[in-house]
Amino acid sequence: MFLFLCSVRKAVSLINGTDMGKFPRLLSRILQKLHLKAESNFSEEEEEKLQAAFSLEKQDLHLVLETISFILEQAVYHNLKPATLQQQLESIHLDQDKAEAFASAWAAAGQDTIEKFRQRILAPQKLETVGWQLNLQMAQSAQAKLKSPQAVLELGVSDEDSKNLKKVFVEFSHQELYEFYNKLETIQAQLDSLT
Amino acid sequence: MAAAGKAAPLPSRDGDLGGGFLGARLPAAVGAMARSLRQLDRDTFRRLLAVTVSALEGNDCKDSVQRIAENADLSEQQLAVLISGMYTLLREALRLPLPTFKQEVFKEDLKDLRIPDDFIADFASIVFGNRRPVLEATTLKQANSLPRVKDFQWRVDVAISTSSLARALQPSILMLLKLSNGEAHRFEVPVAKFQELRYNIALILKEMNDLEKRSVLKIQD
Repeated sequence: MFLFLCSVRKAVSLINGTDMGKFPRLLSRILQKLHLKAESNFSEEEEEKLQAAFSLEKQDLHLVLETISFILEQAVYHNLKPATLQQQLESIHLDQDKAEAFASAWAAAGQDTIEKFRQRILAPQKLETVGWQLNLQMAQSAQAKLKSPQAVLELGVSDEDSKNLKKVFVEFSHQELYEFYNKLETIQAQLDSLT
Repeated sequence: MAAAGKAAPLPSRDGDLGGGFLGARLPAAVGAMARSLRQLDRDTFRRLLAVTVSALEGNDCKDSVQRIAENADLSEQQLAVLISGMYTLLREALRLPLPTFKQEVFKEDLKDLRIPDDFIADFASIVFGNRRPVLEATTLKQANSLPRVKDFQWRVDVAISTSSLARALQPSILMLLKLSNGEAHRFEVPVAKFQELRYNIALILKEMNDLEKRSVLKIQD
């Protein structure tokens, strides 16, 4: 499965050469942040510390980190069992202790990581927050003595490009809110019929 | 709102100081109009009233006003005073809901402004007559509020496979919310957020029901 990477051989030998003591922690750290869309998992300082800890040059360190990320992403994609993962890694000549480290890190945090990937949304805009306010409108410029309840819904919609939360304010009267709720109930019925 | 709803008007009230349904201080436009009304003949008054009602319904009345100005013997200033006064008077009267606003009180207040009796009858027929629902509908349309939902479309998708998962099988909801101010928002809602939204809406509805039953709504107008 991993054989088609030409740089795999170099990466494998680099990984085999790393210190076993710090390796499991590196694995679980990468696993934690795998689902985030950020380009690099580590900041500049962290990379320098890693370079020192594993006594690797900057380029070699990048290769090692990318290979580990790739291996784990493939494990997510195929929903591999820990044993299968270990087998595959040993077949590309990764040392047994390193392969075992992969397998145990995957066994510990694998399912959580898969779940986080499942929850990832591809759409440009996503609903993040829901806030609301219930007001009793007593009067307005066009009408006196109202006493009508009004609800204001504040929806926080995040934008993929600008990365800031757009607040959408919507006002409802009692009747309008009831109709909206009925539509949500229809959606819920559809969701229920899926399971 | 000094006298609206009370049986007897306040003892020492001067027309210029206001009181009654127009509030504690008489709007200047209404006062000026009341003084000019005495010189007006019934026909011109009726035509001006028709134009004012048309304006209240939201129509553009430039032509009609022009015609009245040509036929009657009124200067532009006098016309402005009369129409603005009538418009303000009718608009304030239409604000008050019918159950608590009695016709006699309205007529009494207008009498205090020394408006001629037959003109009072004409005003009353607008405010309490069967043209009123149309006027009320127009004011409701122009009312200010935060954007309301004009259209709500949704769909439920199930992601079978993605670039990161060969077998995802994850449902998701896409919503398109069109608001009354013309904005359209299309966004995806994760299932967990959807449950949160549904819970919150149900909570607001429950609170609204409680509010409507509480005694604060039984405040006497």
